[in-house]
Amino acid sequence: MAPEEMGKVSYRMRLLFAVCSLLFVATLAVSPVKDLLREWKHYKRGYLDLARSRPDTKRLLADFHPDLDQIWIPEMNVVDRCTSCHLGITQATLADPNVPQPYRAHPPIPHRVKEWGCTPCHRGQGAATEVAEAHETTLAWEQPILPGRYLEGACGSCHRDARPETPKLNRGRQLLESHNCAGCHHLQDIQRAAMPGPDLTNVGTKVSRAWIYKWLKEPRTVLDDTGSVKVNGYEMEESPRMPQFRLSEKELTNLSAYLSSLRNHPVAPYKFSPAVLAQWSKRPDVVDQGELRFRQMFCSTCHSFAVTRAGETKMIGGEIGPELTKVASKVNPDWLVAWLLNPQAYLPHSKMPRYEWSEADLYQVTRYIQAKLTDSDLLSTVPQLGAPAKDEIAEGKKTFLEKGCSSCHAIEGMPPQKDFGPDLSALGSKNVSQLEFGKSTIPRNLVSYIQSKITDPSSVNQAARMPQYNFNAADLDAITTALLAMTGPPPTSALQKLAVPRPNPQFRPAGEFAQVYERYKCADCHKFNGFGGDLAPELTYEGSRAQRQWIVSFLKSPQTLRPTLIFRMPQFNMTDREAAVLADYLSMVMQSPEVRPGSLNVKDLTPAQAAMGKQLYEVKYQCQSCHTIGSAGGYVGPNLNNAGNWLKPEWVAAWLANPQALVPGTIEPQRSMTPEEIKAITAYLMTLRQGGGKVGQKKAAVQGMSRGGNGVAGQ
Amino acid sequence: MKLRTLLLISAVPVFLLASGGCRKPAAPAKADALRNAYDVEVDSNDATHMIPLGYQQAQGKRIFYADCVWCHADATPAGPSNRSNLTPVPPLLNDGTVLNGVSDDYMKNVITLGGSAMGKSAMMPPWGRTLSPEDVKAVIAYVRAVAQPPYQAPPLAGSPYTREGTAGSPSK
Repeated sequence: MAPEEMGKVSYRMRLLFAVCSLLFVATLAVSPVKDLLREWKHYKRGYLDLARSRPDTKRLLADFHPDLDQIWIPEMNVVDRCTSCHLGITQATLADPNVPQPYRAHPPIPHRVKEWGCTPCHRGQGAATEVAEAHETTLAWEQPILPGRYLEGACGSCHRDARPETPKLNRGRQLLESHNCAGCHHLQDIQRAAMPGPDLTNVGTKVSRAWIYKWLKEPRTVLDDTGSVKVNGYEMEESPRMPQFRLSEKELTNLSAYLSSLRNHPVAPYKFSPAVLAQWSKRPDVVDQGELRFRQMFCSTCHSFAVTRAGETKMIGGEIGPELTKVASKVNPDWLVAWLLNPQAYLPHSKMPRYEWSEADLYQVTRYIQAKLTDSDLLSTVPQLGAPAKDEIAEGKKTFLEKGCSSCHAIEGMPPQKDFGPDLSALGSKNVSQLEFGKSTIPRNLVSYIQSKITDPSSVNQAARMPQYNFNAADLDAITTALLAMTGPPPTSALQKLAVPRPNPQFRPAGEFAQVYERYKCADCHKFNGFGGDLAPELTYEGSRAQRQWIVSFLKSPQTLRPTLIFRMPQFNMTDREAAVLADYLSMVMQSPEVRPGSLNVKDLTPAQAAMGKQLYEVKYQCQSCHTIGSAGGYVGPNLNNAGNWLKPEWVAAWLANPQALVPGTIEPQRSMTPEEIKAITAYLMTLRQGGGKVGQKKAAVQGMSRGGNGVAGQ
Repeated sequence: MKLRTLLLISAVPVFLLASGGCRKPAAPAKADALRNAYDVEVDSNDATHMIPLGYQQAQGKRIFYADCVWCHADATPAGPSNRSNLTPVPPLLNDGTVLNGVSDDYMKNVITLGGSAMGKSAMMPPWGRTLSPEDVKAVIAYVRAVAQPPYQAPPLAGSPYTREGTAGSPSK
């Protein structure tokens, strides 16, 4: 290089230098630009624009700052940055559905976002700052957002009790219980029942081998295209509890052989008295009489069966007992009579009441069942099976154990299998990587995993032992919700303290009442101190509500009080003694602390008060919109025609003051009546008497009042 | 010639680096609206159409089916409705032709204070001592959601969407 050129930089070098500098500056700028274009900042700017376009800008921006927002609740494991983008969730004025997401206000819920964060209910990744990572399962993050449809599942993680706000969750838990999922699986808060399915010790005396074969092979239940459950070809709300097992021909033959060989205690044929046989066996109307009696006994309160009305055949009846449309083609006639006489002799845990039968009734009802509830084609598709062979029986017993049948069905001398299926008590908190999808093509998330497992277990696991259940779409969602709620023990002690335990009400009466209560299975339909069924009114406070004499006459001859109710109390043919025992116990024990016995006496109510009460009833409060007196009035509340013989005056007064205090959740709204008004309406209602004239006259101390009352009631 | 090549070569890394920052926000997968709905209700005009309900509307639905359905619907969970028994006949709760015309406030008052307090039939009892204010709001939200024809909320006072001379602007 020449000395005069020293220090001189060539044009090319300068250019190179300039370009490199530019490149360097540009490279330095990448990071700030990237930061500026972050996804959440985009949403922050969007919120600013939204707030400025609205009249209440100042309030909407009061808490706004341009950084990441975070709700941090260490004791609950909550680090939620959701509010960085969901900026309007606490702004009531952004509740309008026209406000674009993610800025819309959160609907009002019982929990405050600041105190609870977002992920305890919605799940997802609280700490993520990108839309996809926060909401969905990615490689690095495991927990996706819970779809809104299953959100009640999150409520159930802490609320183990049944809250009115979560109907789907409650229904799901009820289904898990009624379908005996706890027979095979360990579930959170749902205990294994003492006897989940029927005891099969003597099943050979009840049904034929061909019927067992058919029952195990063909599901009685099918789902049609619309997802409705069909049983025996008729649409039904609830699916039967017995699921479908995928059994080979060989297994069916062996199992039916084994089960039909179980007949340790043979059933002796029942001998009807010759007098009844002579009177009824030749009568042409014996079947019709049996049907009448069958209806009167309200068998349909618990059992469903198909009826044809106006050319349309549909399923009617309850879901407590099995469906009966073709029962006569199922059970052995001798077994049927023995069962009707004493269900608990065959099945100690049976929910069926032990009716008090007259010989003639028993004969008629049996004839009716055999003539009408039958289908001669039922077993036509079953191959000829013959008598069970020894090796078939031995193989069948093996299959019985392998398939887990003894998880639900007891057989004398066979130990019950517990926890036959996997533990599901923490299923709801499982990550996708912990689930085995096999070769199935379903979406990789917990919800679709649970639903495939229930509807078609072999789709995700070829070797699954789990049988197939047929639920309609709503019930499937409900069960999924309940399973999502089972998230195992809470991760932190703070959450442990917040969990609301599941109540476990018990009612264990003693003495003679307990015998009658057990015999007629009152708790199948009625609740006592929170324990029992939902089909009929709760009887916890029946002693404060109803007069003893009325209870006795109702038990002897039940009549519906509410015209809109479908289910009705069966007529049990109770003895006088039994009715008296029940009435005494209810009157003495089942009392409400809100009602003081004898605090209001009919004798103290004057005819003037009753007349005023009538005015209040008909004009001011218009009670007739819901209640019927005479032939006019509404269908919502009970019929009051016989209120004077039915209700206790102190109950009526307390009820008018605050119905919810006596029966929480009752439909009748609380009014603001003055004490005088309450007394007047009570006086009026106590004049309403019907039938059973003796009781009425004896108790009608206020003679003058009977004029107004009978005028209405007599219509 | 060489200069242009150099510039081109240098532009490539700049573009690559910058484009990393310019990535568009990934739109979350478009999920089924009904799947994300807390609850649904059947459209009374079209049994195959489901109306999605949010949490508050779903609570309203629950209260409606517990307390209101007996007189404000033609079918009830227990069978026949009490509606045809009553004079004047109560409006169906999804009847938009009647209820879209009344404001949320008016509806709240009729529910909490009862029909007689608002100059309507006393057959409508007051629910203010039985339902909480939140319950009443939930019922109204449910009624608005299921209304046929659909309900349009009145525009917000002072917002750019407010037409001149409508509610919100002081009348003179």
